[in-house]
Amino acid sequence: MTGASEDSGRARLSKPLKIALCALGAAVLLALPAICPQSYTMGVMCRILMYVLLAGSLNVINGYSGQFNIGHAGFYCIGAYCEAILATRLGLSFWIALPLAGLAAMIVGFIVALPTLRLRGTYLAIVTLGASEIIRLVALNWEGLTGGPDGIKGIPAPMLGGFKISRSGDYYYIFLALAALFFFVTARVIGSRVGRAWLSIREDESAARSLGVETSRYKAANFMYGAFWAGIAGAAFAPYFKYISSDMFSLDEGFNILSMVIIGGQGTLVGPVVGAVIVNFLTEVLRPVSQYRLVAYAILIIVMMWVRPQGLVGASNSILAERKLGRRRRGAARAADREASCGGAK
Amino acid sequence: MDYYLSQLINGICQGSIYALMAIGFSVVFGVVGLVTFTHGEVIMIGAFAAFYAFQLVGNNLLIGIVASFAASALIGVFVYKVCYERFLDAPEYISLICTIGVSMLLKSLAQIVFGPNNKPMLDVVPNRFYGWDTVGLTLIQIIVIATVAVLSILLYLFLNRTRWGIMLRAVSQDRKAAALVGIDVKHTILAGNCIGCGLGGVAGMLLAIYYQTLVATMGGAAGMKAFAAAVLGGLSDVPCAAFGGFFLGVIENLGITFTSASFRDIFAFVFLLIVLLIKPEGFAHKKGARV
Repeated sequence: MTGASEDSGRARLSKPLKIALCALGAAVLLALPAICPQSYTMGVMCRILMYVLLAGSLNVINGYSGQFNIGHAGFYCIGAYCEAILATRLGLSFWIALPLAGLAAMIVGFIVALPTLRLRGTYLAIVTLGASEIIRLVALNWEGLTGGPDGIKGIPAPMLGGFKISRSGDYYYIFLALAALFFFVTARVIGSRVGRAWLSIREDESAARSLGVETSRYKAANFMYGAFWAGIAGAAFAPYFKYISSDMFSLDEGFNILSMVIIGGQGTLVGPVVGAVIVNFLTEVLRPVSQYRLVAYAILIIVMMWVRPQGLVGASNSILAERKLGRRRRGAARAADREASCGGAK
Repeated sequence: MDYYLSQLINGICQGSIYALMAIGFSVVFGVVGLVTFTHGEVIMIGAFAAFYAFQLVGNNLLIGIVASFAASALIGVFVYKVCYERFLDAPEYISLICTIGVSMLLKSLAQIVFGPNNKPMLDVVPNRFYGWDTVGLTLIQIIVIATVAVLSILLYLFLNRTRWGIMLRAVSQDRKAAALVGIDVKHTILAGNCIGCGLGGVAGMLLAIYYQTLVATMGGAAGMKAFAAAVLGGLSDVPCAAFGGFFLGVIENLGITFTSASFRDIFAFVFLLIVLLIKPEGFAHKKGARV
């Protein structure tokens, strides 16, 4: 829509300037605990970064391969329980339990995605919704392993070289490092052959298949990749909060994550970040009337679909997603977006 | 043996409620052409409408049926206006996300308005038991099965014998062709959506009477079961969806006799996964079914 002005705007940002801006942003993020050390601010920042991870990983599934996952909280739950059980029962270190939790979420993701790979996206949507609820129910009822309704208490804080990371000001760096790692890896994956295969599936699955993309395999890989990072986010959350119980991972939590992706915008790396910031900001603002929180998200989602279905910084005007795509592809994506928004306006 | 037999009877009775939910779901899916995530919340609204009708007007089952049908059909109008009307030609996922938004909205508003805790349902049906020894039917079960049967027959007559029903079926088979022969497609979709939602609402009332309790969050599991049952018929075939509902009820009740009642909702999901693995297009033989 604003293609021309964007192009010129992007041309003005020379490469050194861009690097300088990125460095400045990184410096601010790194120095944040020193600038505002209040535990409230740092707590909010930790939550935002965790939701950036969750929304970002959901966006890899929903935004880049066009699959439709609405039960992301399930994988988050698996990651959190996996880390908590490994740390409290087996005494494993956080740094070993973290990737294991991601792997566990990934395996469950594969099992969930398997029956729906050849079906329309809506089947996957319902199956993920159900899976999320079932995972929660299993966590609630399998008392021997998960502590049942009591949850798991006293999850040990991660140690780093004899230093215990438990204050939110310190824990902030763990979330920051994970988020940075996520963006680094995901940007590389999206730009690679695999990422292009995902995008081709999103644009037209039959065309992609006819061009030799093994769509089922790539869709499964995409789903597993998203589930993996949700598991990582869960595993990082468990020792941060020190206590987990199954009601933290309800369907509402999944809708919460979904609303971030939808409000921020699908199919771009910055979209979920914007969404996570907005939704968490709303959460803080609406804290006195917290029962209206989900009402507000729901209305935002509906308004978003009516006004701007691709989200605030959706695929049509994102710098980060388009730089990777090349010029012709960008034009096509923009045309598709225009078509979509015209269809929406009818 | 008696125990399993009575579980089987419970299963059939519960299955009849699931069948009604699935019938509503497949009517909506057939005419709108989209999976809806609001069905669970529609069911919940029906249950609460009946609850308040019983409280305000009196313990008469017919009043409950009318109230729950009307309230849920009204919600159906709302869902249609918000989620479908503008997006009939737009990409499918926009409507889908809209229904998720409406479902969130209804559920959280219901939690605020009706309170977050379980409410005991009023004793509409006296607690009587007919049968031998331990095997038999309670009056509630008889009434539930009878209500579902009557509504199913009415729906069958409506879809096959009336002008409106034929229009509905025409729109769900081919929207463009229906428009070409002069059917008002938008109004028909609206009507179909309302009927599907209304049937879901009555199912919600029966669910609340059967379990003697209702809660604002009951929609999640109910919507899931409606979908699982409807998948058996490829989502849009009404008789198959009804059969799927019965089947699901029986599986669920036999399942919990072997495990524990807290795993009840898991069976619907396992059932759904198995159907999707074996025969994702459903058992209703239809050409060109959208899968």
